Amino acid sequence: MRHRPRDFSVVSGNAVTVAAASERAAPGRGGIEQGKVVNEVMPKEKIVEGGRAWPSANVLLTVGVVVVAIIVLGGVLLSGDDEPQGAATVPSDVLVDENSHRLTDAGDDSVTVVEFLDFQCPACAGYYRNITVDVERDYGDRITFVVRNFPLDNHPLALSAAKAAEAAGMQGKYAEMYHALYDNYEQWAVTEDAAEISDDEDRARAAFDRFAEEIGLDLERFHTDMDSDAVAKRIEADKADAEKAEVTGTPTLFVNGERFTPSGETFAEVKQQFRDRLDAELAQ
Amino acid sequence: MSTARATPVTGESSLERVVRWLYLVGGGIGLLASFVLMVEKVALLEDASYVPTCSLNPVLSCGSVMTTPQAAAFGVPNPLLGIAGFAMLVTAGGALASGFRPPRWFWLALQAGTTFGVLFVHWLIWQSLYTIGALCPYCMVVWAVTIPLFWYTTLHNLSHRPVGALLARYHSFVLTLWFVVIIALIGVRFWDYWSTLV
Repeated sequence: MRHRPRDFSVVSGNAVTVAAASERAAPGRGGIEQGKVVNEVMPKEKIVEGGRAWPSANVLLTVGVVVVAIIVLGGVLLSGDDEPQGAATVPSDVLVDENSHRLTDAGDDSVTVVEFLDFQCPACAGYYRNITVDVERDYGDRITFVVRNFPLDNHPLALSAAKAAEAAGMQGKYAEMYHALYDNYEQWAVTEDAAEISDDEDRARAAFDRFAEEIGLDLERFHTDMDSDAVAKRIEADKADAEKAEVTGTPTLFVNGERFTPSGETFAEVKQQFRDRLDAELAQ
Repeated sequence: MSTARATPVTGESSLERVVRWLYLVGGGIGLLASFVLMVEKVALLEDASYVPTCSLNPVLSCGSVMTTPQAAAFGVPNPLLGIAGFAMLVTAGGALASGFRPPRWFWLALQAGTTFGVLFVHWLIWQSLYTIGALCPYCMVVWAVTIPLFWYTTLHNLSHRPVGALLARYHSFVLTLWFVVIIALIGVRFWDYWSTLV
């Protein structure tokens, strides 16, 4: 390239237009003309000046952005490492309230599992079907399994479902409603073709009523409780504790105050990791 | 040359050459990702309890993204649009490679298509990050190819204007900055999750 760097700034619209016009006029030679034109527009990255090769401003800026991004990321990661890893343990008074619902209760000294869940979240339903329902059955007599609400805004029926579970809890049937909601997930949480998350409140409420009847609730009281302040406050309290525990998604599980972070890629692997984790805690 | 990188553009190359390869390779990758997403969608329709191959954890989860209304923004699954659109780009890339010198309207149509694609993709990024709260790996592949497809198509079509010349001089800088911003947004949004993996 014979141009010096400053020459690029004087690539004028005119010169380019002429070249483009000649390309149209003589399509047979177009390739050559086009190559010339575009070379001026998108210059060689190495510009020879006084016999030495300099990377273009574009290359320098590109490399600069990448380097800055890596430095920032590295800095954030390193500063994060300064915090003691022990801080990952969340105090038990944040995770478990006195009146939190327990699916299983092996006493305060036992291994405590706390799950923050959203009844409409597909991942939570997946965890339920593949992991927690078995854990509840197999470890029920040895662990205390606490479930807390963390309905997410992007699941339109999650709050109603949380209210239904809490209202059932008012009549002492929280666990029954919890199971009914997940066992019959496809009856209310997803559309009838199961293609997507449902936002059909009436269909969901009708399903909740069926579950309520099946588990033997006083339906009238169930309705009153669902829309009561007491139930709303319980859910808000759960969400507030979730914030304190830095829960941002569902399902989030804690084992003895420490967040369970699976690395497995399938439910089977995660299930095994979770059970190994429980076995390790139980062995202590 | 690989196009989406800050690889030096060598002397004989031109924007047309970049665009040609980008359409073939980037379009091909986009086509493959859309195709896989569609296959997963069908599997999910056949069996609601099916766990897609890309549902790795609560954040990287196709399942929770694919079942949202946003995954069928125009009433049909988004991957259908991807399959049609990326197939067209691959075809255009093949035509360009064969020596086809498209008329102006052809380039304008490509501009319209890639502009629609890039706007749609950014809406989806926004939705995925701030409304759905999960990432779908195959979808992110589509994001990653759509941006350079739009960018280099635009540069090509603006190459006869001064502003186009200016942008082309900093082509990989702009593209890299674009990617870094999106990666940063993902990092910040899901920081709590990523930090627990370290």
